[in-house]
Amino acid sequence: MAAVHERRTARAAPPASRRSPALPLLALLWAGAAAVIALWWTDTGSVIGAAGWLTGAGRIAGLLCGYACAVLVGLMARVPVLEVRIGSDRVARWHAMAGRYTVCLLVAHVVLILAGYAAQDHASLVRETVTVVLDYPEMLKATAGGALLCAVGVASARAVRRRTSYEFWYYLHLLTYAAVFLAFFHQLALGDDFAGKPAATAAWYALYLGVAALVGWYRILAPVRLNLRHRLRVESVHREAPGVYSVVVRGRRLDELGVRPGQFFRWRFLGAGLGRTSTPYSLSAPPHGDLLRITVKALGGHSAAVPLLRPGTRVWAEGPYGSLTADRRTAHRSLLIAGGVGITPLRALFETLPGDVTLLYRARTAEDLALGGELEAIARRRGAAVRYALNGADGARPALTAGALRAAFPGLAGHDIYLCGPQGFAEDVYAQLRAAGVPDRRIHHESFEL
Amino acid sequence: MRKSHPIRRVVLATAATVSGVVLLLTLKPASDPASASAAGAAPQQTAAAQESPQGGAQGAGSGTVTGDAARTQYGAVQVRLTVSGGRITEAEAVQAPKGGTSDQKTALAVPRLNQAAVAAQSARIDSVSGATYTSNGYKQSLQSALDKVKAADSAPASPAAPSSGAAQTTSRTLTGEAAQTPYGPVQVRITVTDGKITEAEAVQAPKGGTSDQKTALAVPRLNQAAVAAQSAQIDSVSGATYTSNGYKQSLQSALDQTGG
Repeated sequence: MAAVHERRTARAAPPASRRSPALPLLALLWAGAAAVIALWWTDTGSVIGAAGWLTGAGRIAGLLCGYACAVLVGLMARVPVLEVRIGSDRVARWHAMAGRYTVCLLVAHVVLILAGYAAQDHASLVRETVTVVLDYPEMLKATAGGALLCAVGVASARAVRRRTSYEFWYYLHLLTYAAVFLAFFHQLALGDDFAGKPAATAAWYALYLGVAALVGWYRILAPVRLNLRHRLRVESVHREAPGVYSVVVRGRRLDELGVRPGQFFRWRFLGAGLGRTSTPYSLSAPPHGDLLRITVKALGGHSAAVPLLRPGTRVWAEGPYGSLTADRRTAHRSLLIAGGVGITPLRALFETLPGDVTLLYRARTAEDLALGGELEAIARRRGAAVRYALNGADGARPALTAGALRAAFPGLAGHDIYLCGPQGFAEDVYAQLRAAGVPDRRIHHESFEL
Repeated sequence: MRKSHPIRRVVLATAATVSGVVLLLTLKPASDPASASAAGAAPQQTAAAQESPQGGAQGAGSGTVTGDAARTQYGAVQVRLTVSGGRITEAEAVQAPKGGTSDQKTALAVPRLNQAAVAAQSARIDSVSGATYTSNGYKQSLQSALDKVKAADSAPASPAAPSSGAAQTTSRTLTGEAAQTPYGPVQVRITVTDGKITEAEAVQAPKGGTSDQKTALAVPRLNQAAVAAQSAQIDSVSGATYTSNGYKQSLQSALDQTGG
């Protein structure tokens, strides 16, 4: 039976999944860092004494920090190839990881340079700091920029992030553009590796102007164009399950958006007190004519106001983003595992994913199942199976263990798994799937936990 | 989704970065080839400084002339001109501020100033923005070199004519080689009249940070001691040992020239 099945799979093999540009991009970014080090290496004749060591280390840290700032901004420029082919979540994690590293480099740069200069001048650290900040060209601006970057780093640390509002974190983050701009000029004015070296200076300008162009284009112009062209408005709001609402949005020429099932947009509902933050919500159905639909769990903050949206409210959307699409498919059979409102992107995939598809839907009670009727209809139409994992009558949680999963879904390891749900749920299921022998490359997941 | 190990990641990143940076720094030579070669070139420079302006015997006004070192906040600037047929054909800085951000300012400003000097054939050249002190020092030293060219041209072609112009007593100034110290070069100039040191001064001494005070403290004493001792066997000024040793070294090299 299994052999027969395998043969069939081989014949109907899906197109090989497109290769993610993640590795080439990472290689490029590391090569850039190596080039920056090479710049230091070729410009440095000798390293003499403690002052030379401190200053040298400070210069390396500074160069890397300057490079990393450009990379950090570039990663968050919402470039489609990053957002769609690599995945918004993965890029955001890279950004967070590199951001922490960059703040450390910044601190190291400041401390080492000041200590190095102080040792060279035989001055006290305090006096040297005052001299450097006040007397060196462009250093007042750079000091302000450095302080801002440190503040953003601190505010993004997990412990602080949990205690502050999203808006505070978001607007502070916007200040990084100002910080990077302020700090840019001291790099060229004082950087030993740039003064009188037109090639290096030109390369540095190209790096920063290139990133600025990406931000200007993809974060400002592209969304403006999208919203002017498609003119999105709320059409209607429906209750799907307790606390879960669907919002249908009408717009023009939506086919031009190139939306693929499983993707999301960042939404702002203007004039409903929701215009100040943009929040990612997945489309819970493939685009249908002039209509898009998202399904949202009213958890609090932004999402709590969603049920109150009036038809006709103007909507500002950016996207489509996200890589949890059919492109990730590597096998004929797919298993979609949804936890709670994680059903939204999987509902769209359940309808459109080619091959054999099975859906496993975890919810607390039958009442909590959102979109249940639609799922049954889709299952009937394509002859696919929907399984539910609900709490028992006594409130006992169903056991989604490796053994149970393997028993419920024969040939589990040969499936592509699309996983979406709350972080804790997704982590548990991921661990069980790995224990059940599913290779990592077959588990497709999007997580916005940094 | 893979389990993240934040601590492990932090430790790895830190270890990799620190060891990478240390490795890079270790692979660089720990002594400055540029300053070594500068030290090697120093005798020639000082010899040139000696012969051309003091000898003043280039009737046609061709040869090299070195201006007085001009002090700036960031170190001394000293200009050497190559004069041919009464025209400046080349200008270069024998000394310019070093260390910290001065390196790159010097790298930026000096080539431009050199060009400007040749183009203008005078010390009326524009300052390089961002390197005002260096530019001003350069212009000052350039002016002094130009003055010497003029003096040499107008002076009678007598080999004994010193820059002071008076030929009654044989008085001449001799500049010792610049002695490198960890805080900067020290260079001593002595005036020798009738075989006796009548005056000693430091053309260069460590500058910047606490070096200013030490120089201000030590150099006048060392100058006095040199005149008093008539030799380089003078006591170091306590608290300014490096400067004192450099001073004595440069003084000795100046004294060596009196014999020859």
